Amino acid sequence: MSENAGSRNPLQLRDQPETCRTADAEERSAWQRVIGRFADNCRARSLFVLHYCTGCGAIELPPTITSRFDMERVGVSPMVTPRQADILLITGYVALKTLKRVILSYEQMQAPKYVIGFGSCTINGGMYWNSYATIKQLDQYIPTDLFIAGCMPRPEAVQEVFLELMRMIDAGKANAWRDYYRNYDHYLANQQALFGPQWHTPTDIVAEAKHYGLMGPGTTGPHTRLLDQHAEWALDRIPEDYPERGENERSER
Amino acid sequence: MTSQRASVPAQLDHILHEMSEVRVTPKGERRVRVDLAADRLPTLLQLLKGHGGFLHLSSISCVDWPETDEFELVYHVWSYESKMLISAHTLIAKSPGRFVSVYDIHAPAGFYERDIHEMYGVHFEGSPNLNKFILTSWHGPPPMLKSFDTRAYVDETYAWRDYNPQWLKDIAAKGGGIEE
Repeated sequence: MSENAGSRNPLQLRDQPETCRTADAEERSAWQRVIGRFADNCRARSLFVLHYCTGCGAIELPPTITSRFDMERVGVSPMVTPRQADILLITGYVALKTLKRVILSYEQMQAPKYVIGFGSCTINGGMYWNSYATIKQLDQYIPTDLFIAGCMPRPEAVQEVFLELMRMIDAGKANAWRDYYRNYDHYLANQQALFGPQWHTPTDIVAEAKHYGLMGPGTTGPHTRLLDQHAEWALDRIPEDYPERGENERSER
Repeated sequence: MTSQRASVPAQLDHILHEMSEVRVTPKGERRVRVDLAADRLPTLLQLLKGHGGFLHLSSISCVDWPETDEFELVYHVWSYESKMLISAHTLIAKSPGRFVSVYDIHAPAGFYERDIHEMYGVHFEGSPNLNKFILTSWHGPPPMLKSFDTRAYVDETYAWRDYNPQWLKDIAAKGGGIEE
């Protein structure tokens, strides 16, 4: 990429003066509100739930999905991959090992993404309240939009919470995912308290927050600095003859 | 040998007869409990496998007895020929908590021993791999020990969500509510 690519519109013809006027900030935000309102309205009508079943609550999903309750008639459908999913439904208790996978899956999902804590276990540990191996509050580790109380919640309750989530998305209120970017240090602190200071994921949340303009006062902090330290530590240990160590070295060969 | 030996099938009786100081208790039509000293256990498993057709080690379980400071190891072996389950019970001292591996007799024992090592801290000499098995994120003491206080660990590690709604306060004001 050339140096002046950022300042110039690449689609613009080289020797012609700029004919497009630039919209001022207020006008742009008004447009964004209109488009955003429309997008929220559409978004609420096409939701894909990640088929990631953590605990016993997953047994309530087959009746919710299939013909008895048929959640697809309200526009909610199961999805097998995190990258194509909108909703992460945590169905039941989350063990420490499961939580690692939940965080990895959540970070892979594309924004806007929504998390629903299903059952008592995600709220306060549920019947695993005194277990050493399960976490007690899901929203300490990933931001949660809604919880469903009960052990088990029936499919009616699951559908009710989907409808409530649709109402929230339509009204632009389901914004817990922004909190993960704005207060990443807080969530990372809780994750590191369980998994140790070496804990890191392949997703660079701070870089994503910068890219999407979602940096907040709590995005970086003492705990994200540990991530930087770890990255430097790992970089130092890449062997000299590793083929992807540097582009220049590779082109010399 | 107990007087209940009579109800043990003849084939099994023949095998167990080769060993001394073994207490045999029939528990049901196809279940036999055997109590024996720890140093005789590998011999018993070898005999049962070689002469009785007890080829399948279905499980090794462990019990922590805090009063006597002992671990009770229970080896469950199953025979497909006589369709019978033998549970061999043996007691080992909690300190140093070492026992010999039976991996050379039953290869699946490697997994059971690894599991027991992780959950109880019993060291099996000769076991192929005693690394972390299920609790890969765990750095505390073996969690299945009776001396491990789960509640204290949870209180220390996790935070509780405050939940004190008005209806609960109303009930508490009338003398009800949650009892600790």
